[in-house]
Amino acid sequence: MKKWNRSVKVALAVATTAGLVIGVLSPATAATRSTVVIIDSNAFTSLNPSHNEHNLVLNSNVAYMSGIGFNYYDDKPVLVENKTFGSYKIVSKSPFKVKYTVNKGRIWSDGTPITGVDLLLTHVVSSDQYSIDAGLGDPASEDKEPAFDSGGYSGTYNTLIKNITLAPDRMSVVIEWKKFFPDWEVFAPGVSPVHALVAMAEGKTKLGTNANNVANKNKFLRAFLSKDTDMLRKIGKVWSNSYNVTEVNEKTNPLLLVVNGAMQVESIVKNQRVTLKLNPNYNSGPETSGIEKIVYVTIPDSTAAAQALANKEADYYSALATADSVALLNKIKGITLDGTPEATYEHVEIRSGSAPGGKEYTGPFAGMSQKAKDLRTAALLAWPRQEIIDKIVKPVNSKAVVMNSLQYFPTEPNYGKMIAANELDKFTDGTQAQRTAKALALVKKYYPDAKAGSNSVKIEVLYNTSARRASQAALAKAELSEAGFQVNLNPKSNWGALLTDSTYDVAFYAWGKSALLQTGNFSSYKSADSDSGYLNAKVDEIIGELELGNYNDDQRYSRYLAIEKLMAEDAVSLPIFLWPTLTAVNSDLKNVRPGPLVPNGLWNFWEWTY
Amino acid sequence: MFAFIMRRLGTLGVILFGSSFLLFNLAALSGDPVGELRASNEPDAEARIAAITRSLRLDLPPPVRYFIWLRGILGVFVGKFDLGQTRTSEPVAVAVFDAIPTTLRLVTTAAITAIVLGIAIGIITALRQYSRFDYSMTFFSFLLFSLPIFWVAVLLKQFMAIEFNNWLAEPTIPPTAMITIGLILGLIVAAAIGGDRKKYWRVFFITAAGTVVTLVLMLQLNWFLQPSLGPLGFFAASVGAALLITQLSVGLQHKPSLRAALCMSVLGLVSYYPVNWLFNKENQPLVIFGLLLLTIASAIAASIFFAKIDRGPVVRTAVLTGILTGLLMILDKLMRTWEPYFNTDAVNGRPVPTVGQTNSLLESDDYWISLLDVAMHLVLPTIALTAISFAGYIRFSRGTMLEVLNQDYIRTARAKGLNERTVIMRHAFRNTMIPMTTIIVVDFASILGGAIITERVFGWTGMGTLFNTAINSFDLNLLMGVFFLTASLALVANLVADLLYSVMDPRIRVGAGA
Amino acid sequence: MIFGRKRVESADSEQGSIINKETEGLSQGQIVRKKFLQHKAAMIAIFVLSSIVIFVFSALKQKIGPWTYPGWWRYGIEDLSDLTTGCKDGLVGCPTASLRPQWLGGAGIGLGEHPFGQDDIGRDYFALVMRGAQRSLMVTVIIGSIGGVIGTVVGAIAGFYRGKVDSILMRFTDFIITVPAIIIGSVIGFHFGNLGVAFLAFYLGLFAWTGLSRLVRGEFLTLREREFVDAARVAGATNRRIIFKHILPNAVGIIIVSVTLLMSGAILLETALSYLGFGVLPPDVSLGLLISQYQESFTTRPWLFWYPGIFIVTIALCINFIGDGLRDAFDPRQRRQITRKDRRDARVLKKASAHA
Repeated sequence: MKKWNRSVKVALAVATTAGLVIGVLSPATAATRSTVVIIDSNAFTSLNPSHNEHNLVLNSNVAYMSGIGFNYYDDKPVLVENKTFGSYKIVSKSPFKVKYTVNKGRIWSDGTPITGVDLLLTHVVSSDQYSIDAGLGDPASEDKEPAFDSGGYSGTYNTLIKNITLAPDRMSVVIEWKKFFPDWEVFAPGVSPVHALVAMAEGKTKLGTNANNVANKNKFLRAFLSKDTDMLRKIGKVWSNSYNVTEVNEKTNPLLLVVNGAMQVESIVKNQRVTLKLNPNYNSGPETSGIEKIVYVTIPDSTAAAQALANKEADYYSALATADSVALLNKIKGITLDGTPEATYEHVEIRSGSAPGGKEYTGPFAGMSQKAKDLRTAALLAWPRQEIIDKIVKPVNSKAVVMNSLQYFPTEPNYGKMIAANELDKFTDGTQAQRTAKALALVKKYYPDAKAGSNSVKIEVLYNTSARRASQAALAKAELSEAGFQVNLNPKSNWGALLTDSTYDVAFYAWGKSALLQTGNFSSYKSADSDSGYLNAKVDEIIGELELGNYNDDQRYSRYLAIEKLMAEDAVSLPIFLWPTLTAVNSDLKNVRPGPLVPNGLWNFWEWTY
Repeated sequence: MFAFIMRRLGTLGVILFGSSFLLFNLAALSGDPVGELRASNEPDAEARIAAITRSLRLDLPPPVRYFIWLRGILGVFVGKFDLGQTRTSEPVAVAVFDAIPTTLRLVTTAAITAIVLGIAIGIITALRQYSRFDYSMTFFSFLLFSLPIFWVAVLLKQFMAIEFNNWLAEPTIPPTAMITIGLILGLIVAAAIGGDRKKYWRVFFITAAGTVVTLVLMLQLNWFLQPSLGPLGFFAASVGAALLITQLSVGLQHKPSLRAALCMSVLGLVSYYPVNWLFNKENQPLVIFGLLLLTIASAIAASIFFAKIDRGPVVRTAVLTGILTGLLMILDKLMRTWEPYFNTDAVNGRPVPTVGQTNSLLESDDYWISLLDVAMHLVLPTIALTAISFAGYIRFSRGTMLEVLNQDYIRTARAKGLNERTVIMRHAFRNTMIPMTTIIVVDFASILGGAIITERVFGWTGMGTLFNTAINSFDLNLLMGVFFLTASLALVANLVADLLYSVMDPRIRVGAGA
Repeated sequence: MIFGRKRVESADSEQGSIINKETEGLSQGQIVRKKFLQHKAAMIAIFVLSSIVIFVFSALKQKIGPWTYPGWWRYGIEDLSDLTTGCKDGLVGCPTASLRPQWLGGAGIGLGEHPFGQDDIGRDYFALVMRGAQRSLMVTVIIGSIGGVIGTVVGAIAGFYRGKVDSILMRFTDFIITVPAIIIGSVIGFHFGNLGVAFLAFYLGLFAWTGLSRLVRGEFLTLREREFVDAARVAGATNRRIIFKHILPNAVGIIIVSVTLLMSGAILLETALSYLGFGVLPPDVSLGLLISQYQESFTTRPWLFWYPGIFIVTIALCINFIGDGLRDAFDPRQRRQITRKDRRDARVLKKASAHA
């Protein structure tokens, strides 16, 4: 009996201890979470998203987290200067020169100091002229890639920037522009670990000593200044090839992983995930607040992604949502939804002429005659934008409104002022039934027997094959037929190439923007670039001013307003809605504030915390 | 025969040339790699179009590009085999060979389960033709066969992962549900075993009651959170396996086999603790392999001890029992790994994943935890793939078995007084397997091509995903790389199937008259 | 246990006498017909499938040449109507069909305005499902017939003539096997856009016959060695006559069965292609497109997911059962199900003969 009692006691003691241990352990494990798992639909392909063929969202996001330079976009969106890293200012108006200075004491993850030399590579991978002069190949050539297979060539940088020079203290560079460029701030030089590039070009596979690194930096500088073709070609080979890794493990060359951002790639499992850990030597940007690990997992299927989130396999998922994914995610406990739209908007374009080089357009909307203008106005009046918002966008983002300015998004401060003045309000006045009646009246002017369903004006509408577009097309077709139009739907998977095709009278698709430029959303309406054949000399002239003028906000605004008024009068284009992107985040994760510009929700990852 | 094979291999080359040419040109016509960019209003769109045109050689017509690709392939004769690079500048050969293990891991378990289950059920339904069991299995298999896999996947994820994980937070089963499960299982088992009405109901009640009792016990013992067989459960299962294998291979009345098989079970019980001690050592794959060798050796020793003459069947029975017992032991170990796995940070009490190949956060050095993780990630895709593919095997093996059972030699076998077990296992089953084998070979080749949709919905990157990516991103080199492998495999498999058929069925000659 | 010997044997002898009695004095065609008509599952499947076909094709308005058939359903697939409100969870467009009578607190038994609910923009989902089912059935029939004809012809010629012809045709078959259906789908989708489902099905049919041709070839290879073919040849029959009069009737079982399998496979092929974005494109509708479009609706607006799914499964299921019935009917050695009535009749007969 006594023995039995003792064993009971022992058992009780063991059970209590076990219970305590479990009790202590389990809440502790829950509280120390410091990892964020992010779902992405693509697989990782390269550590170098500037490479011509690796300009993928996931690559760019990983690069954003592991590298930081002079500025970044926040959620307003405003270009924020990263004062921790350095500063920049205009040093001369004519010739136009900007000086970029790196603060002292900034270091790479391997401890090497960051200097102005690290900014020079930008010029090598963006200036066609430098590439040609240094014997690295002509980036515009049709059959041979340049030594640096960069996606940055032949762009604005190449056209407008004359050269880059290193200041004597080697902590600053001065960029000289050929003429004033309003959006110069966006073209801040990026920062690259040139010492690591040189080390790899020399075949090193281990991190160098500090002295080595400084020596390598000088080697790069010499090669850059003397346009040493051999050396630069070797570096180009590393830049174009070595960074394209789909796997990172203990065998990976650590030189590839030298970064200055808050996070550093720890491991990559091919086609499955990218794991980033805190960079211990990070001092180039805002301080991080508690997240120690960020893992990207690749899930291509959107339903699978939503279900993974529901099963708590991930913390962060951002995608163009459908009504159902919103409802599905809404049901999940512990998930917060954010409907901040991306800077991508749906718009309808009406052809008024032939695209540059296209065959002649003779459809009902051709030209700038009153008849063509009236018919275009009628089509835009009858385009059921409110219904599209109500049925297609609102289930995803209940705050969505019809976008009524070509330049400003409804989320921007100038939007209210603009829509009050831009005369696009004729396309929102009254109910849709009244607008459609007006449209029918306009059609009747030229086709007296027009009535609902009379099919008086035959038009071809082009769009891509997605379900969302098909729904919009169905709504538009039904409403336009009330105004006497016969709408022929052309869903095409090769719609991109057909935008210049004069066969199609109307096209609707989306435009996105990745930076805030002074030309705003108008550069595609220049007659030289317009796919829909828009030609208005005044509009051309104002766009020309915007491309090069140095304006303040008010001056810019008045020019945007002028273009919008002209285009409202010509009735060639109408915005519809901002794309309803949905970001679903584990509710425990704080400070996630998605912005409209890339990298959207990730811009302030350093502020994230549980 | 040799000449036949050489001739077939020769034509195989010609076919590959023709179909690759066709495919390359079709695929080149199927999309515009720069289509999206044409619609863009970004300032650098034109430069990017030019760069893509350059890197993909879009300035050349597709047939010319085909021959550029072919030159790389033909390099095999000068030792420079080159499948080109993907659009993300990875060598195609690397991409393809990295995808093969993933695909294999995904499809092998499912294929084996489907084949074993399908053939077993097919044969039982043939033996019980037009019984209730036959009808319900026919209906069931057609039903599964008719389901789109992504539909199945969505349902599986919802009910077997998300809801099950929620349920695990507080595992209780209401009595009504328990009784329903019992009744359903009872019906299935009773129908499968068959017999007269009395036996049918007896089996039904025993199974139903047994299920309910088991469920109650499982809940009481918190089995869903801390599952294990324990030495006794393990021994019982092992004895069951011994009896089943003996019955199927030689019949229970064959005493030496029965003794050898039971001996293996006893050996398993005796070594239960030592083996589990070994399981906690390092370098597990080696340990397991060593144990496998040991099992086989002891099985042979046992059969030599128990059988004096005609040892073949005895060895077979003992080895199979031994291996099955070993698997049971591994299963037991995995079950006991469940709890620590369940409580890791990465799993956090949600053990059934919906997506991926492994847990992206799990960092465990424990072999068993990683193994369980891999196994858990295989659960749903395997169920989905098995469900849609085993119907075919059921139908086919049922049909073949019925045909065989109607043959004269079966009648002869029965007439000479062989017992039913021998007639079915030795005569009918073997002849059923002849056509089945060729079907399995061809099927295996085609599944290596990847389960495009399954991989997509479960987030795996195997051959199917590569293929899909290649088409969607107009990556011709990648597409041709995948094609080259899968098409060659399919052609070779067809050849092998033809040869196997003629080897197994002497009535058929290959290349007859050709 | 699994091997119940006694039962099998007794059933065997009993069955033998029943079947023999039944088939006495009937031609093969009559036997097949009789056996098929007695196959319960196949009969139910035929009934269900033909009901579905009639139901689905009569529902919507469509143009047949110069005539317009009005259709008995009030909506077409392009008709937009206001979304039903007052659903659970603040959703819109839920089904109005109800089976719960008013006195039980339901909306009463009836279809309501939109029995299957509505899609996002207010189109009637019943109409969409009907159109989708029409498309899916069309795909099934087109792929089945084109694939069936090519497969049979190729297989028959290869199997009958053997030798060079056989190797050439079989290598051609191998060639077709290597071309993936998804490529065909994507090429057609890209170039011809919405030329229509029929067009897509036609091209898929051109590549879907390989399995069938191998089977038919095998059957012809065996049959041409049989005594009755030799007899016909000796009697001076032409090849043509031998193929059409002697071999084909004997191979028709396997052909029909394979074609039904091909057809039920086709409906799933269309679904898979639509899921991957290479099949039917909006604004056209197919069942596969509907369920892949609305797979996310599963937990939120389940009607969008279930209704097309149920139609796919039912159609495929019916085709499979019909094929199963045909298979059993064409197999001369196949025993059919012995009903209780048969057993009774047989016993009576036995007794009667014993008395006699």
